[in-house]
Amino acid sequence: MLDLVIRNGFIVDGSGLPGRNGDVSVKGGKVVSVGGRAGEAQRVIDATGRVVAPGFIDPHTHYDAQLCFDPYAFPAIEHGVTTVVPGNCSLSLAPLRIDQRDSFSRMFRLIEEMPEAAFDAGVDWRWGEGFSGWLDALEQNIALNVAPLVGHSVLRMYVMGPEAQRRAADAAEIRAMADLLRVCLEAGAVGLSTSFVDIDEHYRPVPSRWAAPAELDALSAVLGERDAVLQIVHEFYDTELTIARIEQLAELSLRHGITTTLSPLFHTNGNNAGVQRVMAAVEAARARGAAVWPQVQTRPIDISFTLEQRSLMLLTMPAWWKVASIRDHAEKLAAVAAGRDALVAEMNAMSRRPNGGLGAGGFVVRDVVHARNNDLIGRNIDDISRERGTSHGDTVVDLALDEDLGTWFIRASIGHDNSPVVGDLLAHPFVHVGASDGGAHVGSFSTFGDTGYLFSEFVRGTKSLSLEAAVKKITLDPASIWGLKGRGLLAAGNAADVVVFDADHIGRGPEIASDDFPGEGVRWIRRQEGVDAVVVNGDITWSADAGYAPEVRAGVIATRD
Amino acid sequence: MTARQFVFPQAGDDLATLAARELPDLADAAQQLLSWNLHLAARRSTGLLPSDVVFTEPPPAR
Repeated sequence: MLDLVIRNGFIVDGSGLPGRNGDVSVKGGKVVSVGGRAGEAQRVIDATGRVVAPGFIDPHTHYDAQLCFDPYAFPAIEHGVTTVVPGNCSLSLAPLRIDQRDSFSRMFRLIEEMPEAAFDAGVDWRWGEGFSGWLDALEQNIALNVAPLVGHSVLRMYVMGPEAQRRAADAAEIRAMADLLRVCLEAGAVGLSTSFVDIDEHYRPVPSRWAAPAELDALSAVLGERDAVLQIVHEFYDTELTIARIEQLAELSLRHGITTTLSPLFHTNGNNAGVQRVMAAVEAARARGAAVWPQVQTRPIDISFTLEQRSLMLLTMPAWWKVASIRDHAEKLAAVAAGRDALVAEMNAMSRRPNGGLGAGGFVVRDVVHARNNDLIGRNIDDISRERGTSHGDTVVDLALDEDLGTWFIRASIGHDNSPVVGDLLAHPFVHVGASDGGAHVGSFSTFGDTGYLFSEFVRGTKSLSLEAAVKKITLDPASIWGLKGRGLLAAGNAADVVVFDADHIGRGPEIASDDFPGEGVRWIRRQEGVDAVVVNGDITWSADAGYAPEVRAGVIATRD
Repeated sequence: MTARQFVFPQAGDDLATLAARELPDLADAAQQLLSWNLHLAARRSTGLLPSDVVFTEPPPAR
């Protein structure tokens, strides 16, 4: 008898070919048959009127920390995501020496905006130092598949210690990093991630940025030995630098035969020509035979923030950053009052920047502490300032002090919100749909729901992609790019990662605050819409009827072999 | 390829040594180079990083 039959669904198998009606059967965690009529099974999902597709693959995440205390990466799975790639942007939780945990944690928490309390409570370092130990620990308790990257910054720290953030490596150190990378790839890493943009809490460039091109070349040669992937986070805010990095990746790809990916690529209406030039550079690299995949996210860029905690929005304002970094609330409040002049000046300077779409006037009050301020919800700072006869900076500080720093602001539609143009970009054959940043920036925006949004906005809305093309973009395409054999396609013998959804209703729920992380503070999440069931390696892990299966831990380390 | 001409720093480089090597015939080459690389000008306190892209020609006309 079969373990599971998903009966009478519209099968969109991930290949991009037109869907068809039929059954999908499963036994022993593998797909047994696709199409036709399957026999008896222990469990049956009635998929009449529903799409049956391979589980979605999210290629750019930072679930490294969250997976240590949340095996579901909640709420990723209910959106249909069955495989995630953590360890992006040069940062993975291993290999790392015991005495480097503190400095690494500070770096990770800052760059990925993970609350300190959640990180410290959730990451117990039970695996010790090595990459294989980390994967072993992870695999004992995960409900979705993990295809991990190893971080370049971490390799440097392990080999060079504090010198990793002071200088280029010498030949012996490069050899040691290459050897260590081999060990990580052997353990199950799908590739290496590096960063050309990130800084630590002291505004110092992260270790990977201190690597000379020869070091990255040597590490890419190791990737080439196993056909593994190189991921970079590039200077995404600058077209010229982005194109230069594409050329650098193309050279590495051609020299070592590797697949490379850069993330993120955003579209803004002010830089439409720049995005077109970036894609022209990608096409030129492709014409030479290089594998360079820009990752494009589906969702528009919205950032929420409160003055209560550090936020991306405050990073370029040193006085605000300093205040937001104070942990004690009373001390923080006093610092706002005492430093008022500098805080106001910084906020007003932000508003005066040319072409500054991020001016404080555009901040919208999202939520307030006191009922007496309810009428401010939904109004922007410019509007409130005009009414009060105050500057933007004064309005924000006044509100912060009045509300005990608890006001939430949102800066919506910062970019990537021109759906017809973004839709064309997502449909481009050389674009890798991804860059969700899942598990990161938890206090700034929800990283959940991008897959649903792909269907609601770009299949049903702009009609930029067909249903089958959209499914392929987040299943077989990423499985092929990342070399995840036996995934991304509904075919006999492949892993039974399956999502059942309603094509007319799949989407993303509203962004809501959740206090489910360890420690204090909230994060932003979105719940699924239109998903019926999610199967991971043959186990029904989530369903609309029953929710999360509490004891199911069917996830595995999804390697390239 | 469509990228502006660029180089990576060599060991021990600062903007002056890089400019002297890449733009030997240009007067005030370091200053010129800086004006073509505003991403470096914005963080002068750090100095050149080994992974930095340094453009050796001006940006395209807009």
